[in-house]
Amino acid sequence: MPHTTPQTPGLFSLSLSKTVEFALNQALRLDEAQGAAFKDFEDKTFAVTFTDLGLTLYLFFTSYGVNVQNALQGEADARIETDLPSLLGLRETGRLSRVTLHGDVPLAEALIDALTSIEIDWEEHLSHYTGDLIAFKVGHATRSAMAATQAAKRQAGETLKEYLQFELEVLPTASQLQRFGDSVQRTQAAVDAIETRVQALLDRL
Amino acid sequence: MNQSKKTIDFGFSEVPLEEKVKRVKGVFDSVAGKYDVMNDVMSLGIHRLWKRHTIELSGVRPGQTVLDLAGGTGDLTKAFAKRVGKSGRVVLADINESMVRVGRDRLINEGIAGNVEYTITNAEALAFPDNTFDLATIAFGLRNVTNKDKALAELYRVLKPGGQLMVLEFSKVTQPLLAKAYDFYSFNILPKMGKLIADDEASYQYLAESIRMHPDQDTLKQMMLDAGFDKADYLNMNEGIVALHRGWKY
Ligand SMILES: C[S@@+](CC[C@H](N)C(=O)[O-])C[C@H]1O[C@@H](n2cnc3c(N)ncnc32)[C@H](O)[C@@H]1O
Repeated sequence: MPHTTPQTPGLFSLSLSKTVEFALNQALRLDEAQGAAFKDFEDKTFAVTFTDLGLTLYLFFTSYGVNVQNALQGEADARIETDLPSLLGLRETGRLSRVTLHGDVPLAEALIDALTSIEIDWEEHLSHYTGDLIAFKVGHATRSAMAATQAAKRQAGETLKEYLQFELEVLPTASQLQRFGDSVQRTQAAVDAIETRVQALLDRL
Repeated sequence: MNQSKKTIDFGFSEVPLEEKVKRVKGVFDSVAGKYDVMNDVMSLGIHRLWKRHTIELSGVRPGQTVLDLAGGTGDLTKAFAKRVGKSGRVVLADINESMVRVGRDRLINEGIAGNVEYTITNAEALAFPDNTFDLATIAFGLRNVTNKDKALAELYRVLKPGGQLMVLEFSKVTQPLLAKAYDFYSFNILPKMGKLIADDEASYQYLAESIRMHPDQDTLKQMMLDAGFDKADYLNMNEGIVALHRGWKY
């Protein structure tokens, strides 16, 4: 099977795909119709290209929800070419202002309709990216590197938060939990100290 | 050759071959419950990002069959199960029963069921027919395997033509200063944190040492080619703290 090689899969596109995935899944969970509009898409694959960013996200639906990633083995069933302003305006205008469809065109149209039918504030979800998006678009090496670093930092913070919030229950007993809590604080302090030192070392390069 | 006379690295201490298998099992038995915490500590919390990167790069799609070898508590299995959907299948295979049990309970708890199988298996002798999987991953597992060449050859065998292997593993830090800092972290801070969190300094010491002993990027790539892979490449994450190796079977 041909492998669709992703554009340099930097941290930027990685965290963007994760954000889009999160936004879609959250909207589907909150959707009054419980995502009924998406029922027919099970196992269908879509490629959504943002021409202004030169970036493609692959999107597909399984019974577990929406998945978004920046590579896909083989061809997507339908391809949608649009740009970021069109997506940001989707909620207000009820359509993608600039769009080209390829592959299974009716399928692509159905997806756009479904996306229009659920409440997603793309602007809000993508708001903390706008700076990064500009950096990315400019494509200037240092600026996109900075964006990647920022994204990585945010990501590291988020994963720890996510971990603390949702996964503490893996710990067996209350007393262990207590001990864990204490050690996390100490670990966090140690990690912070290391991070500062590594950063200091890197700064001296 | 008399296998029992053969020694192999266990971290920095040389031990007889069959001892290693037992000791590795011991390490993971002793950390299984707190394994997820350990991962966060070892990677400064960014192993999730490395895993996500791996998942995305795999290009996995609905309906595919995936092997998550040395799958442990199932981080990758979980993500792949969501992606291959009901029409696909993910097999979590690991040599350690306690890890698999923790993983299975956790995944079932999170509603992942129906398209995942769990199996206790040694990477060196996979219990699957030839040409079974579209994708195979081994994340932070290869460095614990005694005979890596054998494991790579087995992975090649069970992949379908066109299939892809992804090896995610701690590797050789490419940036000298960072390499120093990271070494300091692994050998001085990490075991102490291991003591703090898991009350298990020795296991963390082993982990730090096993990372150091693991083949570097180019060596592992060559090992993959030698094992039969038709093409192999790698990419460094965080300056080579971790490397993702990919091998293809044509
Ligand atoms: C560090 S954990 C990684 C778990 C998981 N892949 C992850 O990334 O979170 C290493 C795993 O490798 C398993 N392992 C070690 N030697 C093995 C072997 N020879 N065959 C299969 N699994 C093995 C251990 O039991 C353990 O679960």
